[in-house]
This record gives sequence, structure tokens and C-alpha cells, in this order.
Amino acid sequence: MRRSNEPIAWSLFGAGGMLLAFVGPGLIVVTGLLLGVLLADQPASVYESLLRWLSHPLGKLLMLSVVALSLYHTCHRLYHATHDLHLRAPNALMLVLFYGGATVLSGITAVVLWSIGA
Amino acid sequence: MSQTIRIQLERYRPEEDSEPWQQTVEVPYHRDTSVLDALNYIKDHVDPSLSYRWSCRMAICGSCGVMINDEPRLGCKTFLREYLDAGELRVRAMDNFPIERDLIADIGGLVGHIESVDPFLIVDAERPLSEGENLQTPLQLERYEAFSECINCGLCYAACPQFGRNPQFLGPAAITLAQRYNLDSRDDGTPRRLAYLNAEEGVWSCTFVGYCSEVCPKAVDPAAAINQGKVSSTLDFVQRRAVDPVSTEDG
Amino acid sequence: MAEPYVKRQPAGWWLKNPAYRRYMLREATALPLFAYTLLLITGVYRLSQGEEAFTQWLVMLRSPWCVTLHVVALAAALLHAWTWLQLVPKILVVHTNRLRVSGTLIKRVHQLGALLGSVGLVVLAWLFLAQGGS
Repeated sequence: MRRSNEPIAWSLFGAGGMLLAFVGPGLIVVTGLLLGVLLADQPASVYESLLRWLSHPLGKLLMLSVVALSLYHTCHRLYHATHDLHLRAPNALMLVLFYGGATVLSGITAVVLWSIGA
Repeated sequence: MSQTIRIQLERYRPEEDSEPWQQTVEVPYHRDTSVLDALNYIKDHVDPSLSYRWSCRMAICGSCGVMINDEPRLGCKTFLREYLDAGELRVRAMDNFPIERDLIADIGGLVGHIESVDPFLIVDAERPLSEGENLQTPLQLERYEAFSECINCGLCYAACPQFGRNPQFLGPAAITLAQRYNLDSRDDGTPRRLAYLNAEEGVWSCTFVGYCSEVCPKAVDPAAAINQGKVSSTLDFVQRRAVDPVSTEDG
Repeated sequence: MAEPYVKRQPAGWWLKNPAYRRYMLREATALPLFAYTLLLITGVYRLSQGEEAFTQWLVMLRSPWCVTLHVVALAAALLHAWTWLQLVPKILVVHTNRLRVSGTLIKRVHQLGALLGSVGLVVLAWLFLAQGGS
């Protein structure tokens, strides 16, 4: 029987799932509700703080980890959901679409993060 | 025996029927009437043509698995009293297997998968008798003990949508049995079994639905076994210990 | 010739059994979490474009669409965290020299960690951002 490449996808899925379980709810409260609603009256200071944070290499690395692992986690589940829902599509296309999509978006995020504070 | 309960049976007689049909039967019940007792009652008193499998009546032979109100259950371990509120029981052959006749599922696929995973102790070097017993600590036993309780009833396969989709998937019981030996301190066969487990039809068809463990009548927890198998397979992706059993037999 | 009857799995197989519906709901948490991640990426992108662009993004966060998305994503993240940590002890088996650590203990430790992780993140972010404002 042929060895599956699934361990790569599953490891990224697992890491992302663990990350989202541990900090996901907090992260959404911060970047979605705290930034937009509670701190709405002080956009300039929020900008300064986040810029300072994302200018630091460690901040960039943390943000990239969060984004990339969330993407691989969610795309892995969505890929398998297409199978569960009996959506008819060539498997190779779906692999490129979901895992390729997660990779491209992670790459874009890395480039954008690189440019901050540079 | 004044009270009765209605049971709807799914019948399929391959010589006469082109597809399954429903038969409704009234069955008297006591507090301690099992679904298997009810089937025996129907066979003895209502319709002797009904076919179903059973043997031990005590949840150890694993023969009487059926779908009861869409859940995979053992007929002997399920009681009519659980369904008084529902008012009706619907009984059919286990899902995800071909229907051989009436309530009898053709579990040949499951048996084949179990046979295919080398479900026995494999040792690299035969121990001479003079070395005495091959001892194991209670902790070493505990590592695989639950996984060894399987009675091959097939309920986990009836519960598994991935097996229902692709019968090539080794499935819960076969993978659990492979894990049972892989985790045994006396066994050296892990590299051989990894060759099966690493495949798409091995552990990687599983999406951890987890229903197999919910329906297991012996609390084996096959979902745990399979997902621990995913960890082993992921480690092996790096370590490359897996050995194709066919090639080793040639060499 | 007597042939076994083979039923094909219907596309709606997951609708009729509550266990399957729970599974699909668990998997569906990925959808709002994916949408949230995209929004997060746009935030990082707008931040890189300067203060004006980022302020526009902050304003967009207050739109009903975004608030709704974040509330749904938060619910999804909570459901994800709950279901994910339920399964951890099935995969993670821990031994000491003498005993096997109970699955319940492993689960509780993870749940506590997740609670501290999310609450801690909110508190830290609040201190960090509010400090920047003072």
C-alpha cells in the first residue's frame, strides 16, 4: 500500500487546531471586538501600538504563525468537508485549491509582515 | 404480557426481492425483553421466514449487530423498554455493509480487513523456552488492554461514514487491532503494520467522527486507537520504519 | 442469482443522526474561522499601508457585517476549543514510570490552559493597547 502524504497536512491541521483552541476565542475578542468597538475612540494610539508590535521580528513571527496555522487548520477541515458532502470535483484540483490557497495566503501575509516597519 | 410494542423490520430476500421492504409486527414486551428476544419471538410466533444472526445472548459473540432506530446496536444488549416513549422500533441490517438477507449484513469486508493487518504477535527472534515466560508489567498491559476487548461485531463499521463511503478503508476494528499489537511490549511487528496504517486506506481515511467509539458495546474506543495510529504514522513519515511485508517475505 | 443488496451512501447521510450532525457542526467551525483569518490578514495588510488605511479598516470593523462575523467566529472558536480539547486525551497518552495519567486530568489541564490562554491574551492586549493610548 502506498504511503499517504496526509501526515504533513494533519500536522499543520493539528498545530492550528491546538493554537485556535488555546488562544482562538481571545484572539477574536481582541482583533475583532476590542479593536473595532471598545477602542474605537483612539485609532491613532491603536495604530501606533500595533505598528510597534508588528515591527518587532517576534511580533511578525507570532502573527505569521497564527495566520498560517489557522489557514492550514481551516482549509484542511473544509477540504475534508467537500468529501463528506459528496461534492464532485477532481481531488487534485481540491488539493491545490485548499492547501495551495492556504500556502499562497500565508506567503502573502509573510511578505506584508516583512514590509511593516522596514 | 398484555402490552405490545410495534417493530418495523426491513426485509430483503435476495431470491424474491429487488430491494428491501418494510414489515410491521406487534410484539409483547416485558421490562427485560431484549430486541434479540423480540426477534426470536417473531421468528417463533409470527413469521418463521425472518433471517438474522445471533448466538450468545450476552454481548460477547458479536453476532447480533443491527440498526435500531438508525443506531448501530447489539440486539441482545438493547431492551424494548428503552423505546417505550418512541412507541416504535425500526430494525434493519447494519448500515455500510451489503445486505445478505433481512437483518443479516455481509461483513466479509470487515473480516478481510481484520485479516489483512497481521493481528498476531510478531517477534524478530524466537525466545527459547528456557527463558521462561515473556513477562509484561500491568502498565504495559494497560497500554493496549482496552483495544484487545473487540468482539468484531461490526457496529463501528456501521457507525463509520468514511467506511460507508469507501469500503477499502481498513476501518475502526481492523486499525484498533493493529494498534493493539503495535502497543504490545512483546511485539516487534510495528514496521510491517505501519505499511498498512500509513496508507490512505489506513488511518488517513479517518476524520475523527468519533461515532464508532460511541456505539462500541465493549468500550474499546476505536477512535482513540485510530488517532493514536495517526500520531505513529506521522512519526513514521519522518522515521521511515515501515516495511512492506511482501518485499520482506521475498528477501 | 441471489445477490446481496448494496446501499449507496446518500449525500445527506449526516442529516438523520444527531452524532453526525454534531460532527458536521464541529467541522463547520472552520468556515467562520477561515473568514475571520482572512479579515485578520486584511487588517495586517491595511496596517502596512499606513495610519489612514488602518483607521479605515478599524471603521469597517464596526459595520454590522463585521460585528456579526466576529460574534459567529467567536462562537465557532468556543465550540472548536471545547470539542478539540475533548478529543485530546484520546490521542495524547501520558505515562509516568508507575502509572498512566488519567485522560480526565489531561483534558482538564488543557482546558485550564485554554482558559488562561484566551483570557490572558485579552488582558495583555488590553494593557498593551490601552497603555499606548494613555
